[in-house]
Amino acid sequence: METAVKLTAPARGLIIARMPSRVSCVALVAGAAALACNDGLRPTPQATTCPAGFRGICGTVTFRGAVPDSTQAVFVVAFATFPRSLSELFTFQPRVPTPLPLGGASALYTDTLPDGRYEWVVAVWEKQGVLTPQTAPTLLAEAGFFRDSSDTTKRGVVVVNGTGTDHVDFVIDFTNRHPVCTYFPPCP
Amino acid sequence: MTRAAGWAALALVCLLAPIPGAAQSTGVVSGTVTDTSGAPIAHVRVSAAGAAGVVGVSDVAGRYRLGPLAPGRVVLRFERLAYRAALDSVTVPAADSLELNVTLHAGRFALVPVVVTAAKRSQLLDQAVTSVALVTDSDLARRAVNTVDEAVNKAPGVLFLNGQVNIRGSSGFVEGVGSRVLLLVDGVPANEGDRGGIDWDMVPLDVAERVEVVKGAGSSLYGSAALGGIINVLTRDIPVGLHGRARATGGAYANPPNDLWRFRESTGGLGGLDVTGSYGSDLVRGSLTLGGRHSDGYREQDRSDQWEVAGKTAWIPAPGTRVTGSGSWTSHQYQVSSPWCEHGRCNDRGLAFQPFRIDVNDTGAYTRSDKGYLTAIVERSASARFAWQARGSWLRTHFTSVHPTAGAVANRLGTELRATARPGEGDARALTLGVEGARSDVTSDLFGSHAQHELAAYGEGEARTGPARLSAGARLDARALDGAGFDAVLSPRVGVVLPTAAGTWRLSAGRGFRAPSLAERFVSTTAFGLRVIPNPGLQSETAWAFELGDATPLGSWGRLDAALFWTEARRLIEPTFSTDSFGVPRIQFQNVARARLRGLDLSLAAAPAIPGLTTTLGYTFLDARDLASDSVLAFRPKHLVTLGADYAWRALTVGADFRYVSRIERIILATNWANDPRVATQALDLRAGWRRGPLLARLLVANALNYIYNLTPGTLEPVRTVSVILTWTY
Repeated sequence: METAVKLTAPARGLIIARMPSRVSCVALVAGAAALACNDGLRPTPQATTCPAGFRGICGTVTFRGAVPDSTQAVFVVAFATFPRSLSELFTFQPRVPTPLPLGGASALYTDTLPDGRYEWVVAVWEKQGVLTPQTAPTLLAEAGFFRDSSDTTKRGVVVVNGTGTDHVDFVIDFTNRHPVCTYFPPCP
Repeated sequence: MTRAAGWAALALVCLLAPIPGAAQSTGVVSGTVTDTSGAPIAHVRVSAAGAAGVVGVSDVAGRYRLGPLAPGRVVLRFERLAYRAALDSVTVPAADSLELNVTLHAGRFALVPVVVTAAKRSQLLDQAVTSVALVTDSDLARRAVNTVDEAVNKAPGVLFLNGQVNIRGSSGFVEGVGSRVLLLVDGVPANEGDRGGIDWDMVPLDVAERVEVVKGAGSSLYGSAALGGIINVLTRDIPVGLHGRARATGGAYANPPNDLWRFRESTGGLGGLDVTGSYGSDLVRGSLTLGGRHSDGYREQDRSDQWEVAGKTAWIPAPGTRVTGSGSWTSHQYQVSSPWCEHGRCNDRGLAFQPFRIDVNDTGAYTRSDKGYLTAIVERSASARFAWQARGSWLRTHFTSVHPTAGAVANRLGTELRATARPGEGDARALTLGVEGARSDVTSDLFGSHAQHELAAYGEGEARTGPARLSAGARLDARALDGAGFDAVLSPRVGVVLPTAAGTWRLSAGRGFRAPSLAERFVSTTAFGLRVIPNPGLQSETAWAFELGDATPLGSWGRLDAALFWTEARRLIEPTFSTDSFGVPRIQFQNVARARLRGLDLSLAAAPAIPGLTTTLGYTFLDARDLASDSVLAFRPKHLVTLGADYAWRALTVGADFRYVSRIERIILATNWANDPRVATQALDLRAGWRRGPLLARLLVANALNYIYNLTPGTLEPVRTVSVILTWTY
């Protein structure tokens, strides 16, 4: 280990080399302390609307029925157009959906989405297992979707235009799930 | 066990202590020499006026012993380079000893320490072509930290993101995988063989003497991983004689500042004990460190226990020849506490998130991580103009995780032969040449079983031309994966150092690279409910790094170092969301990004007019852009400020550190991006110390204002932690 030092001559006077005063030292410490008194994270009540600056959709899903033991996760995703084939099943947004919390009677969800028109906002129930194109028809099921308020038998359309679109609310019914193969038969 | 070892060492000390009475008519003066921060000063020459030939020299613990001295009044003189000489008069008792402790003040000279990492040989700091930050033994002692990463984290321009080190924004945050900073322990590479990350708990802090942080690309001498910088942990040398050191730590974590966040009824505590014993003669030397620590953690499911052993031996068969063996083994068992609980995933009490609680689905997550290294180094200084070094090393990491179940065993075997020649007069020219080889392997249910072989040759020359020093060098790294897939990377570097009336200027341009880790190539797992798939075809990421810096002494009271840096990175390896041919989303490490990192790095150390006061300021401005997507590079804060002040009055020292990190503008890999409540970091640490003889007591209040914040998604940074550290040195 080398610990030698070299002596260098004291520098010639530089403008920036003025000796700091005692006052400036105290001010420096006081400034740091004042800065540190600023707020950090604080308890935040669960939001009921889209957060500020958010772009996408938000809403409350209400759960019906018991959560199946075989549940891997439940997501809310959006399709620009209703998928016409199994190959279009994975064109949903967001690409990495956030699993819904399943502990309560309802949950607020937020989906970050690019601007556009979405024809199908749907809750996807995922069964435990490794998801692949081959296993998707049996591991995935529709468990509810956003409905048109004027005709609840139809799918509701959502538009995202630079901000958060609120109150895209619907019911997730665990007792009435529709496997993917229901939409794209045959079912095994 | 450690307590028994402590008593045994004490008993041994008593048995081996000199027997009084050898010189009944003379006396002895002994004591400790410390600096104004309370840190011991070694190599202080102690002499007595009028007592020719009676000279003492302080050891690494600052202790000296001067005698025999004739009874009566005598003037003692304490001298050491870089400190103002101290004079004191005492009355030496007949046939007795007297204790005199002395504090030396820094002299009115700017100090230029020697560094060993920037050029892979010893050189003065102001001769390095890139920026180097030092964490000295005084810094380590003063900050009273417990781990090496805590010590490095306060260096200017360095920021840890949940354990992943960033130098000027180099690595970002990828869950510890693929560090763009190379860790060295006494110059030996120590990044993990499988993930390429860094196990900061592998080296016990008690064996570390100082740390050198080299900023910017260093691949021209060190190869892969030195793309963003190098951190070299230099362990303590073993002094001659019998020595011991014990360090006991105890403390407590503050409770959450709001009752809505309370998660336990009791207060969490922490504690630890490290004991080191060493013996050295002119021929052989050895030291052994044993340690253990426990922490209840500051969050739910955050307990950890750690046991460690480290040893070092040295054989000095002839002047200029030294054979050193060293190693350590650490077993760390810890609960996994992140990410925190978001609404609906625990007893959230109606809140959007509970930063102190975990998702109930993560209950039981636990990891055991064992790691260690063995190193043997042979050094020979054949003359003042030629020296060589050969070394071999073995690094092993082994982790087992529960919930989810995973594990990996990885090895990295390395060897290097290096020679340094200094032809010509004085330090006019220097040439460093070397070859290096390594083999890494992993066996894991996440990464599979793979092996990688590396071979490299490097050389760098330096010559003085007038007042300027010019240097140029390059390194060629070749790599073979699983016996095939050969690739090679050339990393050149040129630099110049020019002393002027306006400070010492430095300019450098160098290429850095990082080869993909085995984990990045072969990982196969699930994350965020998605498959993470391997990418064996990953290529090395590269970067060109440029730096213009100036180090200026500020009168006799300080030193300012400023550097402009600019890095152009290509083929950066980043986790990327993609879809397979059927459209199923997945995560894969890919060479995707082009990035530009540029900014300003300032470091000021000053000892203003107030006697005993020293201050430091570090500021880094970073403009990091992802050029491929024309966006801010993720996990890179724009501003990083570190302020420090210490004041010493006799045996008492007090000090404070303040760290500001601007809010990180962009993140990736978060499960819920919309609910990410990041804030800027504003953390204040307070400390105090008191020394009496061989005993040093320190009080540390980290995050004194209990500022609640996070740097990475869902991971709470430590709350206010009060620690008392007692150190006894013999």
